[in-house]
Amino acid sequence: MAAATATATAAEEEARLLRLEEQAEHGGGGAWEYLSLARRLRARRPAPVLRLGLALLNDASARSRLAAEQWTLYEQVAVAAMDCQRLDVAKDCIGVLSKQFPGSVRVARLEALLFEAKGDWADAERAYALILETNPFDQIVHKRKIAIAKAQGDMSLAVDYLNKYLELFMADHDAWRELAEIYVSLQMYKQAAFCYEELILAQPTIPLYHLAYAEVLYTLGGLENLQTAKKYYASTIQLTGGKNTRALFGVCLCSSAISQLTKGRNKEEDSSELQSLAAEALLKAYKQHASSKEALVAGMLKNMKLS
Amino acid sequence: MAEELVLDTAIRDWVLIPLSVVMVLIGVLRYFVSKLMRSPPSASPSPDPKAVKEGQLVIRARNLRTSSQFIPAKAFKARKLYYTDGERGLLHVPKEDAQKAQAAMFSDPNMAMDMMKKNLSMIVPQTLTFAWVNFFFSGFVAAKIPFPLTQRFRGMLQNGIDLSTVDVSYVSSRSWYFLNLFGLRGLFSLILGEENATDDATKMMQMGGGMGFNPAMSLGAEKDSLDIIQHDWALPKMEHHAEEVLRKLLKK
Amino acid sequence: MAATGDDVPIIQAENLTSNVRSILYSRTFLSITGGVVAGIWGFTGLTGFIFYFLIMMVASLGLLAKSKFSVHSYFDSWSRILVEGVFGGLMSFVLFWTFAYDIVHIF
Repeated sequence: MAAATATATAAEEEARLLRLEEQAEHGGGGAWEYLSLARRLRARRPAPVLRLGLALLNDASARSRLAAEQWTLYEQVAVAAMDCQRLDVAKDCIGVLSKQFPGSVRVARLEALLFEAKGDWADAERAYALILETNPFDQIVHKRKIAIAKAQGDMSLAVDYLNKYLELFMADHDAWRELAEIYVSLQMYKQAAFCYEELILAQPTIPLYHLAYAEVLYTLGGLENLQTAKKYYASTIQLTGGKNTRALFGVCLCSSAISQLTKGRNKEEDSSELQSLAAEALLKAYKQHASSKEALVAGMLKNMKLS
Repeated sequence: MAEELVLDTAIRDWVLIPLSVVMVLIGVLRYFVSKLMRSPPSASPSPDPKAVKEGQLVIRARNLRTSSQFIPAKAFKARKLYYTDGERGLLHVPKEDAQKAQAAMFSDPNMAMDMMKKNLSMIVPQTLTFAWVNFFFSGFVAAKIPFPLTQRFRGMLQNGIDLSTVDVSYVSSRSWYFLNLFGLRGLFSLILGEENATDDATKMMQMGGGMGFNPAMSLGAEKDSLDIIQHDWALPKMEHHAEEVLRKLLKK
Repeated sequence: MAATGDDVPIIQAENLTSNVRSILYSRTFLSITGGVVAGIWGFTGLTGFIFYFLIMMVASLGLLAKSKFSVHSYFDSWSRILVEGVFGGLMSFVLFWTFAYDIVHIF
């Protein structure tokens, strides 16, 4: 039982991070603790990280107390500074680091990142290509290259890079997710559906993937896809305990689309109560949270012949 | 039958307790030593591209195997074909490749070194303590277990003393060492954290069988298990569950 | 902790292992303390083993109460709560039982 409490949940850690941030921002100390936690959680909170980290770095005694840890702090502050477009600060930090660790890949990555922050895409790409020459399996660098393509708005190039990346690192579900989202934005729904299938396989308990998959299938249309989409909306309902409004709407829309396509010939679909239950749940949710719009929803559901 | 075998209290003070304490201390020490030896994980700076790819492939295929019930039958069939279709499937390993991989593994000094290190941290302290126990405490009756046992256990419990008349529940010092070896595992898992608990048993198993990670072999195994699984779509069932969930929600 | 459905195995593997680990932890702890107690009280023979299984049954009940009597929302099967770690703990129990018994009663 002690072990269960020892592994704090992600939500608790998040809350602790915010609490520490509050405390450190008001001069209550714990800045280093906050920065360490932010680094461990990979939380993207550039403004406070930059402010607190810079304060630590400018304080010579605090910096010397950190000993070897100060270099990680330099790195963290540099990234945060680039996030805040304080390129001068980032440049200083990277300068210190490259003096300390000449020839380090990690510093080279930061330098390339600085090019990116400035918008020097060509320079950044050249820098990344240089890193890849020596170690071609640097996942971060591969991902940065994809990010550059995306930042330039060249989606087809981003898709190309992502596909190449996934050929090598095919178990990286974050990349699959990115690819799925790009495909959706390009309206390539069949490909997006494949990516979402892959995501569901990797993490079958995350309702968001079920929902996104259902939405892609619904958009594709056709009787079979609609029926499948309805099932995935249903699984989203199960996984979220019926709290996801989008999934409830999805079930209603799917069943009305299906009944339009089949014109009530399909007996199997009629036997299921799911859509009427979903409609009821929707009405109840609107009554509780947005009673002014309840009539609107009721009217819409009536149009779909669901209530 | 020597029912009333009297054990000297000196045996308790100089054999039983020291032996157990030393075993505990050595266990703790070994944990930290192996942790130290393990610390540089990036032994090989540039991983073999093929190994990286195959490792990832195995993970992806395993995902398909374990959560196949969550995707539609059509999607599953397409993927299964993609992985296992004859010679074109991703999981297909050419025969000569498999042999090459085997050979490469045996000749790779780095890997052998790594395994040696791992095993060394286990074997050396064990042989040392065993030798120590043997040298100083051989031939003692060190303890008595509080329950009767049949004659069959004599070899196990009275290892090192050749007396057939002594009651079986008396334990020789060498056997007390073995009892400690197995029984203290629970204690270690409490004081050192979980990852140490299964170490010894699993390591011993690994020593005999699979030598480290063999991608070619795991690819083949993954292919075989993918070949036999039946696809059973769970989504229709989940639809019913969703109905129940909604009913419960509406009742509230 | 683990989010589960009824017969469709929707289980967060991480949460499950964390739950199982906490069971193992409590079982191991109980078997060691139980062993010491049994030794000090001087149980011999079958009594000691009955004592051990009694402790484990109490532990199962405790775990059941801890999981609020809905085993399936925390574990994948009943056997987890009933037998997980019982036989692994036996060895520790015997060792500490013998140790305490010898120190208190034999010498």
